[in-house]
Amino acid sequence: MSAVSSATETSLTGEVIAAKKQARFALARKTIVTPILLSLLLIAITLITVMTGSRPFNQTVIDVLVRVIFVVGLYIFIGNSGVLSFGHIGFTCLGAYAAAWLTINPIMKSSALPGLPDWLLQTRLIYWQAAILAALFAGVAALIFGKVLMRLSGIAASIATFAVLAMINTIYSNWDSVTGGTSSVVGIPIIRTIWPYLIGAVAAIFIAWAHAISRSGLALRAARDEPTAAAASGVDIPKERLVAFVVSGAVMGLGGALMAHSIGVVTPDTFYLSLTFITLSMLVVGGMGSLSGGVIGVVLLSALIQALRWMEGGVSLGDATFALPKGIQEIALGVIMIVILALRPSGLMGNREITLTRSNRNT
Amino acid sequence: MAYKMRIVATALASVSLAFPALADDEKIVVGFATAESGFMEAYDKPAQEAAMIRIEEINAAGGLLGKKIEVVKADTKSDRAEGAKAGLSVLDEGADLVVVSCDYDFGSPAALAAEDAGQVSFFLCAESVKAGIQGVGPHSFSASVLAPVQGATMAEWAFKEKGAKDFYRLLDTWTVYNKGICDGFDWMMPKLEAQGAKLVGEDTFKNEDASIAAQITRIKTLPKEPDAIMLCTMMPGAVSAIKQLRAAGINSMILNGSGVDGSYWLSAVPDLSNFYVPVQGSIYGDDPSADVNKFNTVYKEKTGAEPSSQYVYPGYVMIDVWAKAVERAGTTEADAVVAELEKMKDEPTLFGTRTFTPELHHQNKARYLIVETKAGKPGVVGEWTISEPVPMEAILK
Repeated sequence: MSAVSSATETSLTGEVIAAKKQARFALARKTIVTPILLSLLLIAITLITVMTGSRPFNQTVIDVLVRVIFVVGLYIFIGNSGVLSFGHIGFTCLGAYAAAWLTINPIMKSSALPGLPDWLLQTRLIYWQAAILAALFAGVAALIFGKVLMRLSGIAASIATFAVLAMINTIYSNWDSVTGGTSSVVGIPIIRTIWPYLIGAVAAIFIAWAHAISRSGLALRAARDEPTAAAASGVDIPKERLVAFVVSGAVMGLGGALMAHSIGVVTPDTFYLSLTFITLSMLVVGGMGSLSGGVIGVVLLSALIQALRWMEGGVSLGDATFALPKGIQEIALGVIMIVILALRPSGLMGNREITLTRSNRNT
Repeated sequence: MAYKMRIVATALASVSLAFPALADDEKIVVGFATAESGFMEAYDKPAQEAAMIRIEEINAAGGLLGKKIEVVKADTKSDRAEGAKAGLSVLDEGADLVVVSCDYDFGSPAALAAEDAGQVSFFLCAESVKAGIQGVGPHSFSASVLAPVQGATMAEWAFKEKGAKDFYRLLDTWTVYNKGICDGFDWMMPKLEAQGAKLVGEDTFKNEDASIAAQITRIKTLPKEPDAIMLCTMMPGAVSAIKQLRAAGINSMILNGSGVDGSYWLSAVPDLSNFYVPVQGSIYGDDPSADVNKFNTVYKEKTGAEPSSQYVYPGYVMIDVWAKAVERAGTTEADAVVAELEKMKDEPTLFGTRTFTPELHHQNKARYLIVETKAGKPGVVGEWTISEPVPMEAILK
């Protein structure tokens, strides 16, 4: 009798566990709406751009898409680990220069960058191949730096990442034979069609999403919210952070490569403080802990900047032309950011993601 | 509701602004993709004003090919990414000539956009060889003179006219422009050494260095004070370097590039003497050409101030040579205009001659006026054209 009952009990527990344990990919199915919606948003913007047929507007949107990649790259590390990083633009720099090394015409390269190894001097790849390699290169660099940095936490980690940025900038500004020093590296093929940038941005969004729902991403978020409990549950915090750091470094590298192809010129000072702060503020305004926040932050702030620029240029209303004084754009942008953060300290999206259902807490 | 309507109207207006203007054969459009804000504005604005003066002159004389020249502008905000957009936006407004920022680094994104669209681009006053075929493409030009020509001019002039024998080379490694001046000096020096000159030493510093005491000590320990110091630097660090050299009691001639032209900073080094700068035209009212002095007056009437440095002039030269090329080609079609520009050999302009070849869209030889500052007063003391053009190897270094 007892044997039977114990058997029933066992099978019951089994059923309960089975019921509690989610089916494979259940989390993926539940959350995939977010990256799809974000991608649709970007696709819609791109389609509108293509329809207007305006070249400067096209370039503006390319810029927005590149920034989406940057901010999503930042989110992968900052959003999931809760550690503020000032160093990620360094990986962008690595990616941009790697793309330059791989795509510039060998003849131009050997006169402008004679210090490159021979095999690299002879290499000339198509831009998308170069972009993938650039992302890998930045990822490897992130792995090396991260191995050391991820042992730190809190403000120490943030300052250390800043040191990485300063270091990369100094090396790239002074290694004349390999990076051209402070002068521009030219001859990078310029890609003015918008589609590659859209693909890059969408890929970044899906990478960020896949990382966030992966075992490592979930563990990292647990560590962000409750480091002690997470560590006690067996989460190896430095390791999980390192994973996020490498993935985000690679995404930043991809963004850097695409940025290089969008302007056709790279210099080390492009990838320094101003780009660091504009991308960080876009992430913070959108909501640090949310992928949707990152993307929406970029789109909103870019739209705002563009609108202010148009007003600076003068908008005619009827007979009168209404124009803001030059330079007001930067000031207005600052004010708007302060207002947003005062009203919503954790950013527009906070920790939430956009979904179709109402239960949208990002755990 | 009214508010909403206004927003819609604004949005529509913005969209219609963004649409490409339809090609209009009745006019010729010059597009300025230059800095109207940010730090580059200080360099771009004066040259752009000079360009506008030439455009107004042409329009007053009946226009170009019988058409009025129209001007469209887009602000680069002294930012490279914005520069690319500015270039594209003036192109969309139908620019036949895209004028870009003075500096190669900041002008190139817009110039590359023009090159991509097969249009002619002109750097307002860039002095790097990259501002042209080498760094942009076959439709790109610069209105100024290569930096190496300045270094070479000063060395040869000091040796031939001032009898300087012992030269010292002091390079500020901050920018490509500085290095360019010294590259020209380095190319000229062996020629002068064959005739009896001597390079007695060389040193480097950085523009931001607060003190160049170490460099000064090395100059002081030379057995004899050098006759001339070739100082390859630019603002703002130049002032501090000059001040320290003089304060240390070094009274050698100081030879410079055009970058330090202007009297705006002279009050920082009172009673400066024995100080020489090559310029394309004099802003001090004593230019040997009456036309230059007349231009200065026109410039003052228009902007309310005298030109602040010689970098105003290339803007005028640019429109001048481009308009001539268009006139000769009988069209604004880019390849035809480029072909005409490349035929120019010693083409006279208000500020010296211009030569463009299919290899070089820049000046590797030019007449320079030499301005001497004596007891704090700058004035023209002579002019010099280097004996032979600076060769490609020295320019590309």
